[in-house]
Amino acid sequence: MARSFRYYGKKRGNRRTGSPAWASASEALFFAVLLVLGCCGLVLLFTTQVVPEWRVNYEFVSTTCKVLDKRITETRGADGMMYRPEIKIEYIVDGVTHSDWHYDIHHTSFAGRDGAQAILDLFSLYDKNQENLFCCWYNPADPREAVLVRGYRWWVWLVFTVPISFIAIGAGGLIFALLHWGKSAERRAAMTQRAQDRDLFAAGGRGDRNFPFIPQGVNITNSPGTKLQYRLPVAGSVGWSLFIALAFCVVWNACAAVSVVWAVHGFAEGKPDWILVAFVVALLLIGVGSVFFLVRRLLVVTGIGLTLVEISGHPLHPGQRYRVALSQPGRRKMNLLLVSLVCAETAAYRQGTNTRTETQEVYRQELLRREDLEIKREQPFEVEFDLDVPVGAMHSFLAGHNQIHWSLVVEGDVARRPKFQRAFTVIVHPAPGDHAA
Amino acid sequence: MSMEPTIIIRLDGDGRIGRPGEPLSGQYWIESLAADQVKAIEASVLWYTEGKGDQDMAVHEFWRRDIDDGGEIDPDRPERFVATLPNSPLSYEGRIVKICWCVRVRVFLHRGKELIAQKVFCLGNVPAVRATHSDEHE
Repeated sequence: MARSFRYYGKKRGNRRTGSPAWASASEALFFAVLLVLGCCGLVLLFTTQVVPEWRVNYEFVSTTCKVLDKRITETRGADGMMYRPEIKIEYIVDGVTHSDWHYDIHHTSFAGRDGAQAILDLFSLYDKNQENLFCCWYNPADPREAVLVRGYRWWVWLVFTVPISFIAIGAGGLIFALLHWGKSAERRAAMTQRAQDRDLFAAGGRGDRNFPFIPQGVNITNSPGTKLQYRLPVAGSVGWSLFIALAFCVVWNACAAVSVVWAVHGFAEGKPDWILVAFVVALLLIGVGSVFFLVRRLLVVTGIGLTLVEISGHPLHPGQRYRVALSQPGRRKMNLLLVSLVCAETAAYRQGTNTRTETQEVYRQELLRREDLEIKREQPFEVEFDLDVPVGAMHSFLAGHNQIHWSLVVEGDVARRPKFQRAFTVIVHPAPGDHAA
Repeated sequence: MSMEPTIIIRLDGDGRIGRPGEPLSGQYWIESLAADQVKAIEASVLWYTEGKGDQDMAVHEFWRRDIDDGGEIDPDRPERFVATLPNSPLSYEGRIVKICWCVRVRVFLHRGKELIAQKVFCLGNVPAVRATHSDEHE
C-alpha cells in the first residue's frame, strides 16, 4: 500500500492520484511566481512613474524660459502612430544658457495629433515686444533636464492595484501552501477545525458545538407565532427572485429593442442585414419568454396571498409529534392544496470548471390534502394538523458540498392561475436517545 | 522475500456501531515495518461524505507522533486511542449523500512514502434511505 512519488496522475472526479508532494511544490511555486511578479511590477511602477513625478515636484528648481520653437514628433508604436509634443525652450542657470526640446518628465505621447497640438497651443513663441516668458523647472543636479509641466497623474495610483493584487494573492497563497506543506488531509482538516472553533468562540459561540454540522436555524425560532409557538419563514426570498426576473426582463428587452432599431434601420436604407435579423428574432423570443416568466411570477406572488405556517416546537426530533397551523388568505378557488414534509439531499460537485448542484428528494409525507377549496376574501383558509417526524429519520446536515434538508412544502393548484409551491425550512435533530445530553 | 507492511486497527467492543456521547476506543499497530523507516504516524477519528457531491470531511479527533518531537516510534507496539463521539453528524446512507465515520491511520515513511488504512464504523443507527422510506411520490 505504500505510495511512491508520482509526477503525474489521473483525475478521478474530485480526487487525483498524483503525488501530494509534487502538488504542494507546484502550488507554492505558482504563488511564489505571482508574488515575485507583483513585487517586480510594484518596483518598476514606482521607479518609472512615481519617483520621476516626485522629483519634479520636490527637487526640480523653478525658473523662467523663452519658447523658441514647437514641434510634434511622430513615432510608430505597437498601437500605431503616436504624437509627442516638444517645445524648444531657453533658460539660464547660474549664468549658463540651456536650450533644448522639452515638455514633461514622462515624454508623454498622444494617439491623435490633435492632443499633441492642443498642448503646443498652450505655449506661444517668445516675442521680444511682449516679453512672454513661461515657467519651467530644471534638475539642479543636471540643469539640462527640464520640464514645462509638473504634477501627479491620478490614474497612476489605479495602476498600482494590479501589482498589489498579484502580491496579495501570491503572498496569501504562498503562506497557505507553506502552512500546509507536507501535511496530510486529516492534519489540515484538524487545523481548519481548530481555527473555526476559535472563531466560533470569538464570535460569542454562534456555532452549536453540541450538534456539529446541523444548521442552527436561528431565523426559524426568532419569529413567534400567533397560534403556535413559532412562525416559520418561507425558504428563499420571493422579493429577490421577482427583482432578478424584473431586472433581467428589462435589460434583455432593452437590448432587444436597440437591436430591432438597428435591423429596421438596415431595411430603411435598403441594406437588410439578415444575420442581424436572425439575431434579433432570437433576442425577441427570449425577451417574450422573460416577460411571460415575469408575469407568471407576479401572478403567483400577488394573486395568491401570503402563506403562513406555524409550528408547536422546534427543532424537530424523529419519532415526535408536532402541531402545524396553516393560514392561506386570498380570494381564490383552489383545485388542490397540499402540505407535505419533505427531506431532500443536495450535492454540489465540480464538472470541469463548473460547479453543479443536484437535489434528490428522499422522503415525502403528505400531511394535508384539500380539494375544491373556496377561500373567501374576509376569511382566510385556516387549519391545524399533526406532523409526525418519522422514527429513524436522518437529522438535517450542512457541510461544504453536501446537505440534507427538511422542509414543509405547501403546494397549490389555483383555478386560472399558475401552480404555486412554497417551502418552509425546518431543522431535524437526532432522536433524543441518539445523542448525549 | 520481505512482507508488505500492514496497518492493523482494532476497535473495542463490537467495533461496528458507536453511540453519540460514548467513548470510542481501540488500538492500532503496524506489522512488518522496521522502526527506523517511520517518520511519523497520524491517527484520526473522522467523518467524510461519499456520493455524487464533492467530498466533505471533518476530523473529530487527531493524534500525531513524530520522531522529530523526540523519542523513537515502535510501529509494532499497539497504540491505544480513546475519543468521545459527537452528537452529529450520524452515519447515513442516502441516495446521493453518504456520511461515513472511520478511524484512519496514516504512516509517513522516509522518501515521501505513506501507508494508510482505515476502519469504518457507524455513528448512531439511522437506517439507510432505501430500506426505510418508500418512493411513492417519485
